[in-house]
Amino acid sequence: MRIICKDLTYSYDPKKKPAVYALNKVSLTINEGEFFGIIGQTGSGKSTLIQHLNALLPVQEGFLSVGEFDLSLKDKKKYKKQLKELRSKVGMVFQYPEYQLFAESVFDDVAFGLKNFFPNLNANEVAQRVANALNAVGLNYYEVKDKSPFDLSGGQKRRVAIAGVLVTDPEVLVLDEPVAGLDPAGKKELMALLHSLENGRRTIIIVSHDMDEVLENCSRIAVMQQGELVKIGTPEEVFNSNQSYAGLNLPVTVQVNNLLKERGINLNCNFKTEQFICDLERFFKKTTNN
Amino acid sequence: MAKSLSFGQYYQAKSFVHSMDPRVKLLLLIAYLVTVFVVSNFFGFALIGAFLVLAIIFSRVPVFTVLKSMKGILFLIIFTVILNVFFYSGEYDRVFIEWGSVRVTDSSLIFAAFMALRLSMLVLGSSILTLTTTPVELTDGIESLLYPLKLIKFPVHELALIMSIALRFIPTLSDETQRIINAQKARGGDFESGGLIARAKAMIPILIPLLVSSFRRAEELGDAMDARCYSGSKGRTRYKRLKLGYRDGVGFVVFAIVLAGVIYLNGAFVALV
Repeated sequence: MRIICKDLTYSYDPKKKPAVYALNKVSLTINEGEFFGIIGQTGSGKSTLIQHLNALLPVQEGFLSVGEFDLSLKDKKKYKKQLKELRSKVGMVFQYPEYQLFAESVFDDVAFGLKNFFPNLNANEVAQRVANALNAVGLNYYEVKDKSPFDLSGGQKRRVAIAGVLVTDPEVLVLDEPVAGLDPAGKKELMALLHSLENGRRTIIIVSHDMDEVLENCSRIAVMQQGELVKIGTPEEVFNSNQSYAGLNLPVTVQVNNLLKERGINLNCNFKTEQFICDLERFFKKTTNN
Repeated sequence: MAKSLSFGQYYQAKSFVHSMDPRVKLLLLIAYLVTVFVVSNFFGFALIGAFLVLAIIFSRVPVFTVLKSMKGILFLIIFTVILNVFFYSGEYDRVFIEWGSVRVTDSSLIFAAFMALRLSMLVLGSSILTLTTTPVELTDGIESLLYPLKLIKFPVHELALIMSIALRFIPTLSDETQRIINAQKARGGDFESGGLIARAKAMIPILIPLLVSSFRRAEELGDAMDARCYSGSKGRTRYKRLKLGYRDGVGFVVFAIVLAGVIYLNGAFVALV
């Protein structure tokens, strides 16, 4: 599903003068199948933006469509009618999703969304889809399904919570700070897991304030500042313009590259760590050969 | 975020009433509430009303903000007035409308008016306190006022601590609740439709995570307090000490005058009748 957003504006306190905008005329398009990153400081409006995507916040001003769903419809009845279907297709994983687990067993918790959206499924189908979702997040269905979600480890809980969203097979998966609070190994694993969910059709959107994380993982990045979209493009476009973003650290590779530039060494390379190191290697080999 | 952080009614301003000692304000409020119920004629109401107006003026809180506190109990006031107008069964001199056992008399009208005045003054007076006193000041004041109960081993300090922690966590938990509601809504949770039982059941996915996180927070807070060697009220000093000032004296004197006036007026009218 393609997400189109034009001049989207939102204020949490619309009556206040002068108005304070959490989102100010944000326009962007996210294509089907993209691994998209939204990056910004705390309070930059990134969470506000993604909450629009499955209509947890209503569109106040501007236009927003997600696939065939028009979320800026003024007709209240038509708008409400599409919500359920929209939410089954746009999965939203909030920050620290493990804190929203509630059911007695992992199975029930994962099945919660499925039963809400598709009440007509029979028990076999439910079990099948729950098993698929749990396997997709790297958990063994038979091992965990009857356990209480509160008995799992932190990382496992988060996987269960993600499975609870994946279970409806959403076409758009939005994750707010998916790796927050995980150790480096856990971060890597979870990111790999997210990449394994790509199937060419599914759009994955992650929100982060870690530049390295989005650089390594995303095909395109949007940078938000104080409710405004300040930059959008591929990682190369976003970081190559010698631009700095207030309150955000540039990725390590970009910083290294900038320092080299100051000393007159132009690498002109890719910023993803692996490739950056290859480029560096090539450069040093070249200089030592000379 | 900022919206939910400012909890309660507190209206930030620098005023005579704001800088009064919370203990004095609490005591004056209690005395005021008692007086409002003792007043038995319109002159008395005028006098205590004048005190209220004075308090509002010297609190520098916009009148509209004070009146907003009436919103919650407007229905109650209207309800009592209607009940009293039609069903008051005391002695009366004149009957305006009579319909079976329902009659509107001069004394039922007066009684209804008294009730309406009492209820509104009750709410307005209390909201002056909450508008000019931060929750922290209030709990400090209550702790200090309850101090004598320590003699009978009543855990005053602990009670005050519980109160301030509860107040402190209201915005945190309401943020948390909103987050959980959003998360479950995103998973198709429906909290608005269905009958009473269906709705109560739909609350489970919200209440359980909320409960779990409250316990987690409580544990973390306990650890943090232990880490800073909190050991109860024993030997504990205060950052903000409550001190009586000239304003508190003025408050007492003004109220004493009003009280004397009300008692005099009550007596005078009883004598007349």
